[in-house]
Amino acid sequence: MRQRFIYDPFVLPFMAGFVFIIIYLVAGIISAIRELPCEDRKKLGKSIFSRKIFVSAREIFMECLIHRRIFRRNRMLGFMHMSIAFGWFLLIVLGHIEVRLYCPERVNLPYFPIFFRYFMMETDSTLKGSLLFFLMDAALLMVLTGIGLALYKRINSRLMGMRRTTKLKLGDRIAMYTLWAVFPLRLLAESFTSGISGGSFLTRGFGLVFESFVSNEALIRPAWWAYSVALGTFFLAMPVSRYMHIPAEMLLIVLRNAGIKSKKTNAGYGNIELYSCSRCGICIDACQMSAAARLDRKTTVYFMRMLRRQEGDIEAAARQCLMCGRCVQACPVGIDSCRLKQNVRRSESFFSPVQYRYFPPTETIRTDVLYFAGCMTHLTPGIGKAMQTIFGRAGVNYRMMDEGGGICCGRPLMLSGQEKSAAIMIEKNTDIILQSNAELLVASCPVCYKIFNEEYSLPIPVMHHTQYIEQLIDRGAVTVGHTGLSAVYHDPCDLGRNSGVYNPPRQVLRQVANLMDTSHERGEGLCCGGSVGNAVLTGDQRRKIARDALYKLTGEKPDILVTACPLCKKTFAGAGLQQVEDIAQVVVKAME
Amino acid sequence: MYDVAVIGAGIAGIEAATQLAQMGYEVLVVEKDGRAGGHVAGWDRLFPFRRNAAGLTAEMLKMMDRGKAVNILAGTTVADVQRDGQQFRIWLSDGQGITVSAVLIATGFKLFDARRKEEYGYGIYDNVITSADLEQMFASGKPVVTKKGERPKRVAFIHCVGSRDEKVNNRHCSKVCCATAVKQACEIKQMYPDAEVYCFYMDLRMFDRHFETMYLDAQAQYGVIFVRGRLSEAAESIDGRVTVKAEDTLMGKMLKISVDMAVLMAGMEAAEETDKLAAMLKVTVGKDGFLNPADECLQSNFTREKGVFVAGACTGPKTIPETLADARAAAVSIDGYIRVGSEEKSLREEIIGKIRNKREEIRSRRSRSEE
Repeated sequence: MRQRFIYDPFVLPFMAGFVFIIIYLVAGIISAIRELPCEDRKKLGKSIFSRKIFVSAREIFMECLIHRRIFRRNRMLGFMHMSIAFGWFLLIVLGHIEVRLYCPERVNLPYFPIFFRYFMMETDSTLKGSLLFFLMDAALLMVLTGIGLALYKRINSRLMGMRRTTKLKLGDRIAMYTLWAVFPLRLLAESFTSGISGGSFLTRGFGLVFESFVSNEALIRPAWWAYSVALGTFFLAMPVSRYMHIPAEMLLIVLRNAGIKSKKTNAGYGNIELYSCSRCGICIDACQMSAAARLDRKTTVYFMRMLRRQEGDIEAAARQCLMCGRCVQACPVGIDSCRLKQNVRRSESFFSPVQYRYFPPTETIRTDVLYFAGCMTHLTPGIGKAMQTIFGRAGVNYRMMDEGGGICCGRPLMLSGQEKSAAIMIEKNTDIILQSNAELLVASCPVCYKIFNEEYSLPIPVMHHTQYIEQLIDRGAVTVGHTGLSAVYHDPCDLGRNSGVYNPPRQVLRQVANLMDTSHERGEGLCCGGSVGNAVLTGDQRRKIARDALYKLTGEKPDILVTACPLCKKTFAGAGLQQVEDIAQVVVKAME
Repeated sequence: MYDVAVIGAGIAGIEAATQLAQMGYEVLVVEKDGRAGGHVAGWDRLFPFRRNAAGLTAEMLKMMDRGKAVNILAGTTVADVQRDGQQFRIWLSDGQGITVSAVLIATGFKLFDARRKEEYGYGIYDNVITSADLEQMFASGKPVVTKKGERPKRVAFIHCVGSRDEKVNNRHCSKVCCATAVKQACEIKQMYPDAEVYCFYMDLRMFDRHFETMYLDAQAQYGVIFVRGRLSEAAESIDGRVTVKAEDTLMGKMLKISVDMAVLMAGMEAAEETDKLAAMLKVTVGKDGFLNPADECLQSNFTREKGVFVAGACTGPKTIPETLADARAAAVSIDGYIRVGSEEKSLREEIIGKIRNKREEIRSRRSRSEE
């Protein structure tokens, strides 16, 4: 191979875009890292010189290039993302190898590998050259296939398992269309040039076809110009588009593997999460407000865009969420969008500490096991009664912490952004728990269970009653028979996805009933629609979500639908389609 | 051969069938329960004058039997319906098929299942009962007692259980529960004059002619205590009493009262499988589950489907006089439809001819008996 030129003006649009994006990214990364708290920066520094960096590299390869998580969700969708990302990556890598092999003195010119075939000409067909050209053409074909699929996805997203896809705004559209244009233009440019530079099955093949009816010579420079302009425009549009996810996700993976988590503010890590969102729209279908109540525009992807662009009523968008965590579970990037929303929900506008003067003076309870029923269990007394029966049968020395009503666990206030008010509740309840000398706190409501675990710093273990019942049965403290009923178990969001308690309820249910499988369990569990995380949804919308969830869960016609959350039970009972029981009630039946 | 099929032998179905028979039509009434009379037959006494409910239905059935043109099929439901031109082919659950010119839906309502309002403890606490349970206690003739067999010293009536409640998806008012609660509260006071009786209400909807008098009597004569406030929850104490928590919204105070018995005024919902029947007969169902008439004012007994009529509580909660008036109006609508509305001339003439003969027969029978 021999060098033909070293420069042509058509590299200018590309170079302008390239220099701009490099400066933008360097500045962005520096400011993002500066936003991190000091301890996190230390963690990051340590992780870079440890084994963790290899873990990150592997994860970047698997997620940013191969898109493993998307593959798991839908193969076609995964293939589309992989074709574009991995194909493009191969083009870049192979391009640099070509330069190093055939023109090592030009390694320092950033545009040289991009426009390699314009600057070089073939002198003899070396075996090495044909192999590289073949690989380059194969990579280009891969990207083009991905872009073809992406085009088709805009017309019919169901092929990729997506009911809805994201409605994009101007910045995204410009970047997307230019990105789609880059690779067909490259194919054209390389095909027209293939008479001089050589090429493989794709570029040379197309070149021969074009030769038969156009003058390839005349079209060479216009095609390279168009290719360069498309690339340059893409880079210029990148900061205002979703394609910032490409660099941001890599940074996010490194930070996450360094042990950095979202905090009580969205600065730093949260901001990087925002930029890592590719607006793929997978969360739209995962969201039940969208799937059942047609609130597509209230889904996480749109919230993320509003927050990143700082436009619209961000707080209202943050509040229109069930906080069920289904979008977090589905997100291929692993963005904790619930935390981002929680951080936006801050207000102390209505409640003030003064309003909690009516708190009863703390009465000292002394016991071994403290049972916190929670307000929702007070509204579903069947569960509380069942728990009392189980405690009694096991002969446990227990006391109810909130017999006469008690104090709220604080989570509903927390979720609505009233953190100061919640702190008052947490303090009062902590006093009662500490004074009791109890060895264990049992909660019936997953909403309370989660806050006891996460926001209270208790010296004693906290258990949800499913875990406690499992323990009692294992210990032989209660003996159960089999009810003979067939049952489907509904994972409450705050117990399952948001606290990771999946197995204890299943262990218990397998002993007392015939547990049936559903396709909506564990991480894929559904929200009942009654969530205290959303105070904006109307009754009608909640009903739609509840009914939809009930239909999905009871397709196999179980005798009972079992849950482990008083709020889920109450919401499902309100929809009035199926009898719903708490696991404690089923266990009581099995004890008789 | 029948002319009209009536679905439901509650008071609406019986009244409409009686009226249609008097007009000369052959009527078949299909009733899912083993007996006619519907909810009213299971009630003890009716507001406002506490007349005997069983007496009312017995009298109505007697009136119906006099015409001898009505056949009641108890324990039967409609399995399938097919339109055949101007007529309907109906298959019943007992396997027989009939052809009729018009169908009247009079499926009424079902009582709200109070267990769905779990915070009130029905089915969990021993001494939480529904208005229907209390009415049965009255009907049994024995004194009203708690689960342990003691006479209650304090009784609370909880209004709007399953009515006007978004949380159980029932926005509608069930119309009869306020008056029923006041009636039952007075009856308890009559039985136990020294008992304390509370009514927890949101609004007292005493809309009909004699209701205000009942309400006044309840306060002045019987000393029933009315508290404006919705219950938040109920809890059971160790001795089996029920502690109810509510806010007295007129006083602006939280209340916590222990009572020996709490009576839930269960509201009305569209009867079981109303939606299925509606789908078979192509009648539209409202968001609240009740059937939609063709026009609320002018065609309140018609539906959008020709030849299908509605009467009684299947189109929304109604009192007994309202239901009966509605049933009579439905009979007139059906008569008009068959005589004038039938499009097939031959069929129309055949029916009209038959009715003319029938009417003459009734008239001659009457004149003979007068002689």
